[in-house]
Amino acid sequence: MKPMLTLFRKELNYYVNNVLGYIVIILFAVFANFLFMKDVFVVGSASLRPFFSIIPWLFLVFIPAVVMRSFAEEKKQNTIEVLLTLPLTESQIVIAKFASYFILVLASLLLTFSLPVSFSFLARLYIPEILIGYLGCLFLASSFISVSMYFSVLTKNQIISFLASAFTLFILLGISTELISSLLPKMVQDILIYFSPIYHFQNFIKGIVDLRSVYFFLSITFLFVFLTVVHLEKRD
Amino acid sequence: MISLHKITKRFNNKVALNDVTFEAKRGEIVGFLGPNGAGKTTTMRLILGYLTPSSGTVRVNGYNPIEDRIKVLKTVGYLPENNPLYQDMKVNEYISFISSLKHEKHPEQILNMTGLEEVKNVKIEELSRGFKQRVGLASALCGNPDILILDEPTSGLDPIEQEKIRDLIKKLSRQKCIIFSTHILSEIEEIAHKVIIIHKGKKVFDGIKPKNKGSIDKLFKKVVS
Repeated sequence: MKPMLTLFRKELNYYVNNVLGYIVIILFAVFANFLFMKDVFVVGSASLRPFFSIIPWLFLVFIPAVVMRSFAEEKKQNTIEVLLTLPLTESQIVIAKFASYFILVLASLLLTFSLPVSFSFLARLYIPEILIGYLGCLFLASSFISVSMYFSVLTKNQIISFLASAFTLFILLGISTELISSLLPKMVQDILIYFSPIYHFQNFIKGIVDLRSVYFFLSITFLFVFLTVVHLEKRD
Repeated sequence: MISLHKITKRFNNKVALNDVTFEAKRGEIVGFLGPNGAGKTTTMRLILGYLTPSSGTVRVNGYNPIEDRIKVLKTVGYLPENNPLYQDMKVNEYISFISSLKHEKHPEQILNMTGLEEVKNVKIEELSRGFKQRVGLASALCGNPDILILDEPTSGLDPIEQEKIRDLIKKLSRQKCIIFSTHILSEIEEIAHKVIIIHKGKKVFDGIKPKNKGSIDKLFKKVVS
C-alpha cells in the first residue's frame, strides 16, 4: 500500500505543483458552468439535469486530455524504465495513476458545486437527486479514465493517445444518440444502447442508483485497468 | 549474486544476445565492454527483469527476475542508459520519492554522498548533465542495494566529473556487486576487477582484467575485430 501511495502522491503533485493542473481544472469548471448557465434562464427550470447531461460530452475531451500523458509521456521520456525497475508491481503503478486522475476529476467537479448552491437560493432542490447525479459523474469519470489510460499505455505519442481515447469514447457516447440508433434495426439498437455510458448515466441524472448501471461502469473501469496492467506486464 | 546461464534474447527475428553465460559476485566490479548495439543494455535489462529472455535463465541472489520481480528489484540499484529522470521534480523530491519506494531512511546522506546537497532544491531540468548523472546515480544508491547496475555511468561527463563518479564506484564496491558498461577502455582499466566483452550479441571475453596498461585496448581490438 505504501509504495502505491508514494506514487499516487508523486502523480498528484505533478498537477498540484504545476500551473497546468489549475488551468485544466478551472477551464473544466468554467466550461461546465457556462454551457449550463447560457440556457438556464431560457428553459426557466431550476433543475440540474441539463447540467449533468453536458458532463459526458465535457469529459469526452477533458479526461483524455488530462490522462493522455499518464504512460505516453513516461514512454517518450523513458522514465517508464525507471518506474518498472523500482519495487512496484504493475498493478500498483496503474492503480496509483488511476487514483491521482480520479482525484483531479473530483476536484474539477467540486468546482461546479457553485451551481447547486446558487440554485438552492432560487428554488427548492431535491438534494439526493443532485448527489446521485454527482455520484454518476464519478462512475462515468472512472470508466473514461481507465479507457484513456489504456490508450496512453499503447503509445509514446500523447496526441495519438488523446485522439484514440477521445474517438473511442465518442463512439461509445454516440451509439445511444437518436441520430445513430434510428438508422439501425431495433434489436441492434437495444444491444448497442446497453453499451452506451449515456444510457447508464441517465439513470443517475434521474436520481436512480441502478445496480446494472453501477455494474456497467465498474466493468468498463476494471476491464481497461486490467488491460493496461497486462500491457505493462509485457516484457518484450 | 548474479548468474546468467545460456541467455538468448531475440527481438522479433533479430538475435540481440546469443547464448551468454556469466557470473558476478559480491565485491566484484564487472566492466561490460562492447561496441554500440552489442547487447550490453539488453543484458542489463534482462538482469532487472525489464526484459524476458527468449531462452536461458537469469538468477539474482537466487531469484528469477521475472517471477520474483519485486524481491530482485529491492536488492538492485539501476542507472539506465541515457539516465531518464522526472525533469519536473526537484532533486530532493525525486530522491525522496525513490527513497520512499526503496526504504531508504537517510536520503540526505545519499544527497551528501553524491554531492547533490547544493542543488537539492533545483528542478532536475535545470541541472547540468553532470549533476543529472549524479541524480541518476543517487537514485540507484537509494535503499543501499547489494547490486548496482550502471549503464554508461560516466557517459557525456567531463573528465573531472568522470573521475568523481569512478571514485564513488570504487568506494562502493567493497560490499556490493557492481556491473557497469562503458565505451571508455581506460575506465575498465582503472576500476573493474573483471571484464566481459560482448560483440554482436555474443560473449567474446570473460575474465580478470589484464594488469598491464594499454593491454585492455589490445584485448578489445583483438576480440571484436
